[in-house]
Amino acid sequence: MNIVVCLKQVPKKDSILRIAADQKWIDDRDISYEMSEADAYALEEALRQREKHGSGEVIVLALGPERVRQSIKEALAKGADRAIHLHDDIFNSATDAAGVARALAAALKDEKFDLVFTGLQSDDYGFAQVGLILAETLGLSSATIVMEVQPEGDSVRVKRELESGWFQWVKIPMPALLTIQSGINQLRYATLKGIMAAKKKELKEVKAADLGLTAQALQPAQVIEKAYLPIKSKQTEIIAGKPAEAAAKLVEKLKFDARVL
Amino acid sequence: MNIERETLEMDVLLVGAGPANLSCALHLTNLVAQHNEKAKADGGRQLHELNIAVIEKAAEIGAHQLSGAVLDPISLRELLPDFEKDAPFEAPVGDEKVYFLTASGKIPAPILPPPLRNHGNYVISLNKFVRWLGDKCEAAGVNIFPEFPGWEMLYDNNAVIGVRTGDKGIDKNGKPKAVFEPGVDIVAKVTVLGEGVRGSLTKQLLKQLKLDAGKDPQVYSVGVKELWEMPDDRFPAGSIIHTMGWPLDSHTFGGSWVYGMKDRIINIGLAVGLDYRDPKIDPHHEFQKFKTHPLFAELLQGGKMIRYGAKAMPVGGWYTMPKPTHDGVMIIGDSAATLNGERLKGIHTAIKAGMLAAETILEALLADDYSDKILSRYETRLKESYVGKELYQTRNFHQAFDKGRNMGLMIAGISTLTGGRLPTRLPIKAGHEHMQHQQANGADRYADLKYDDKLTFAKLTDVYYSSTAHDEDQPCHLHVLDTNICIDRCTKEFGNPCQHFCPASVYEMVEDKESRKLHINFSNCVHCKTCDIMDPYQIINWVPPEGGGGPNYRNM
Amino acid sequence: MSEGILLFIEQRDGKLNRTSLETLVAVQKIAATTGDTTSAVVLGQGINEVATEIAAKKLAKVYTVEDDKLATYTPDAYVGALKQVIEKLNPRMVAFSHTYRVRDFAPRLTAALGKTFVTDCISFRQDGNDTVFTRQIFQGKINTDVRVQSAPPIFVSFQAGSYRADLAEVGDAPAAVEALAVDLSSVDVRTQTEAPFQEAKQAVDLTQAPLIVAIGRGIKEKDNIKIIEDLAAAMGAEIAASRPICDNEWLPMDRQIGSSGQTVAPKLYLAIGISGAIQHVVGMKNSQTIVAINKDPEAPIFDIADYGIVGDLFDIIPALTAEVKKAKGE
Ligand SMILES: Cc1cc2nc3c(=O)[nH]c(=O)nc-3n(C[C@H](O)[C@H](O)[C@H](O)COP(=O)(O)OP(=O)(O)OC[C@H]3O[C@@H](n4cnc5c(N)ncnc54)[C@H](O)[C@@H]3O)c2cc1C
Ligand SMILES: Cc1cc2nc3c(=O)[nH]c(=O)nc-3n(C[C@H](O)[C@H](O)[C@H](O)COP(=O)(O)OP(=O)(O)OC[C@H]3O[C@@H](n4cnc5c(N)ncnc54)[C@H](O)[C@@H]3O)c2cc1C
Repeated sequence: MNIVVCLKQVPKKDSILRIAADQKWIDDRDISYEMSEADAYALEEALRQREKHGSGEVIVLALGPERVRQSIKEALAKGADRAIHLHDDIFNSATDAAGVARALAAALKDEKFDLVFTGLQSDDYGFAQVGLILAETLGLSSATIVMEVQPEGDSVRVKRELESGWFQWVKIPMPALLTIQSGINQLRYATLKGIMAAKKKELKEVKAADLGLTAQALQPAQVIEKAYLPIKSKQTEIIAGKPAEAAAKLVEKLKFDARVL
Repeated sequence: MNIERETLEMDVLLVGAGPANLSCALHLTNLVAQHNEKAKADGGRQLHELNIAVIEKAAEIGAHQLSGAVLDPISLRELLPDFEKDAPFEAPVGDEKVYFLTASGKIPAPILPPPLRNHGNYVISLNKFVRWLGDKCEAAGVNIFPEFPGWEMLYDNNAVIGVRTGDKGIDKNGKPKAVFEPGVDIVAKVTVLGEGVRGSLTKQLLKQLKLDAGKDPQVYSVGVKELWEMPDDRFPAGSIIHTMGWPLDSHTFGGSWVYGMKDRIINIGLAVGLDYRDPKIDPHHEFQKFKTHPLFAELLQGGKMIRYGAKAMPVGGWYTMPKPTHDGVMIIGDSAATLNGERLKGIHTAIKAGMLAAETILEALLADDYSDKILSRYETRLKESYVGKELYQTRNFHQAFDKGRNMGLMIAGISTLTGGRLPTRLPIKAGHEHMQHQQANGADRYADLKYDDKLTFAKLTDVYYSSTAHDEDQPCHLHVLDTNICIDRCTKEFGNPCQHFCPASVYEMVEDKESRKLHINFSNCVHCKTCDIMDPYQIINWVPPEGGGGPNYRNM
Repeated sequence: MSEGILLFIEQRDGKLNRTSLETLVAVQKIAATTGDTTSAVVLGQGINEVATEIAAKKLAKVYTVEDDKLATYTPDAYVGALKQVIEKLNPRMVAFSHTYRVRDFAPRLTAALGKTFVTDCISFRQDGNDTVFTRQIFQGKINTDVRVQSAPPIFVSFQAGSYRADLAEVGDAPAAVEALAVDLSSVDVRTQTEAPFQEAKQAVDLTQAPLIVAIGRGIKEKDNIKIIEDLAAAMGAEIAASRPICDNEWLPMDRQIGSSGQTVAPKLYLAIGISGAIQHVVGMKNSQTIVAINKDPEAPIFDIADYGIVGDLFDIIPALTAEVKKAKGE
């Protein structure tokens, strides 16, 4: 069983985010990065599937600048077998989901795999699209927001999360792309031995030109015109009166003004 | 719990990725390379390629590092002669001012006191600096393992043979979780502790081997700082201000710094001596109050606070330095009190200490003898170096403050003028012993301190800006050895000062109908070590939490 | 020339998904500024009722697409069918609600058509001929205004709760319902589905709860939580808490809101005896309506509340429970 895991690196959860001077993105100086949460679960699921299956490879595929190596190394330390890093300035043009998916698809053209895992969405842009665009481009079957994975012969049976506490099992033929939900498993820790072993694993750097891609081809079709902190223009209405009066007034407001009851 | 543990063999293991250990690791790889080149030429014995490991409790190098900092480049120039090419420094020190503050005024120092003169030095961010140094180490083949705290010293008789790293995946009741990963026994020919201030392994080791016998107790200060992003260049990179005086009372040692950094960032902080008397003193609150001084309220006007942090530092110096070596082990940097308390500088001394340790380790490798016989040469080297000289000269500095600020300033003045010579060696007691019982009707020191979320911030708001996080499902890493003291004696005698001296609101006394108890919000902990130091009963034992937990300092 | 806005209506077992009505409001608002005609499309089988329900709203037309292959939802059949619908109708814009189902097929659809898809938007602004969409990044910490730079149709999805379904405009007369034929014979449906199910015991997912009653240390003791449970039951709300409550294990960890807990944005967040520390506030500040009950008039929670009552929660909560029951006619 060969599984490709697409990894994205994003600012750490607890980062204090500031808007960049050009108001197009965050100020990315002095930010620490980590694997996007759902991607970390996707990696873990791939490692577990491979271990259960007993053979095959887990291949990490990541696009991004130099700093992404740190997350790739972490994935290798946890047990991935090899990694492909799409890394040069041309890839910086890919700022929408389609551009990223196009580059990832190009990198997978010559790879042999049964499954491709991505996170269900990234913690930064949150497009929730890259996986499916990749599936469409490569002609793979797909299932999203996956909570359990059971390979069965040439197919894979997966438990999808639906809204409001509902789930559904679906079966799709392999090769298939699954977008993995956070919490599907428990993340392992990288071990010292794993970290040492990772140093010897293959980490292939791929340039856009190697894939026949140009900045033009990766141009985004949607762009962030402005990034800003959500504006809360709230006026707090203090409701006075004895408890019973205040309670009655509040219910009235919630029912008729805010219409939330 | 009987756990099977793996063993990892290394030549040299360094605990803590601070300037001391990273310099040691880098210098050692250089020395070995030089040695081998020479041996090759002369047909001498070559050393095999060394396995050097640095373990660090933070999630990445530098994430637990907080400093001023003004760097004296003297030792860095020896380690990396062309550091100016790519070192991530903010700026060379430019405009320098020193004031003595009163509640609303300032008295400029007529001349810059020599210890505060910084011409030729650099304003730097320590965590940027160590990340850069870490990259150099990795490029030289050093293994750096973030997220692996040293948990326990490993001994063979009394010789140190390595360190056990912390277990991962233990739940809050102490039971292994499904992903449990036991700590590893890293055994090494030489183990170097460069854990920084009040190292938890260092504490174990000093106790086990009595390496601090006959030394003065260490004294500490805690520094609380914020970074501010300014709308303009009003305080250019490289500008510095130091102050003494207000708001600290005359029994409290300390002072402030304001350093201009790149990109319109102001770095402002206050160091408070951890030998104050009033148990109600709260370093975070003192710092907030300090910022309301007209000088700083005006300076920060229109800016935005973007980061917060706190860390202690050992300021005792010469007479407090433990014996730094024993069979198989060395202690370097802040862990062994190489900081110069008078200049408030410990980075250059830590770097030099690391280099001298490396030179000693090379000798041990060549002799294949890792006993104290060879390792103890480090102490001699250190004391004979310029680090030894500057520490010796300032040997009476903090001790002088033991007598209170005014007296202290005078003595320190004399001491500076006379190259450290005082008629007699001053007696000293541990910082926490200075704390006095609370006054029954003592005034609230901070009654008029208001948090406006513009200039001043509540402690928890500040803690948010330290980006601190721990996995909540793990045992509390702050071991309070006897909580009965907290609810009884300490409440009466000191009014639970842990609630005040902790700059991260970790300790809280909570009351419900029938009881009053200590609640420890361990996940707020910024790893400053103040509680371990300042608790009047010395019943708080700080141990590292699961690897990776703690603050995430950037640019601090 | 592409023209008009097409709204995707989601249904399961012939039941309308309410979020489609929210997106209808967005679509009506866009059309009000651009003069676009608006139509809706429903896919499935046995969908007449849904179509009729939607046709009552102010829309030019409601299209129904029925096919055996659409009886149960699969991404392949939906992509195949909608591709043909879009090619036939040639709309200028296609709007979805950002539901789990839409997330499961719409990116494939847009990729198949070679179009860009602006997902999970919370609002829009018309700028000349362009519609500029607002979407959140970094899990709601930052807003962005996004402009599409490719030729129509523009694909967009709106986050649940961004618009209020009850504000959907009703038409003067019901819109015409028209069946659209599609040919799915060449569509290879690769997904075999099983029946959806609910798990017996599941962790609460507060992110899905429309109403949340949250308690903080002001509740004083575990036993007092009872009065909050009564209120929550009367309102049909989920209970959440600040960290100290979960630290004390008075409520399980999965009910903690804040930086080390869940991030939620319900329609109503009632904060009771919560001071409003920044670590708590980051987890709930995007709630649509925030009510704070606290005895300290200076408590920071009031800074972000829409409504506040200053007073003792032990007096106010029982009164509030009684009022809620009264309002619900119990
Ligand atoms: C507020 C403040 C201001 C200062 N200003 C200046 C200044 O202006 N100029 C100057 O030169 N110096 C200054 N210093 C002092 C200087 O920062 C220190 O002297 C210097 O950082 C010491 O280096 P070190 O390598 O010994 O320890 P540290 O820099 O403290 O590094 C120790 C490392 O070890 C890690 N560690 C600790 N325990 C363990 C364990 N058990 N397992 C794994 N890892 C562990 C820590 O996380 C840390 O990363 C200041 C210090 C403070 C606190
Ligand atoms: C790293 C870190 C992570 C954290 N993560 C979280 C998190 O995820 N979630 C979280 O909630 N907190 C978190 N915290 C803790 C947070 O900082 C606060 O300590 C916590 O939110 C306070 O909870 P509280 O408002 O319930 O309690 P308090 O701050 O004690 O407030 C209690 C409030 O109740 C009011 N009150 C008391 N009695 C009454 C009464 N009878 N009637 C009405 N009002 C009354 C008081 O006026 C007060 O405002 C975190 C902290 C840190 C440092």
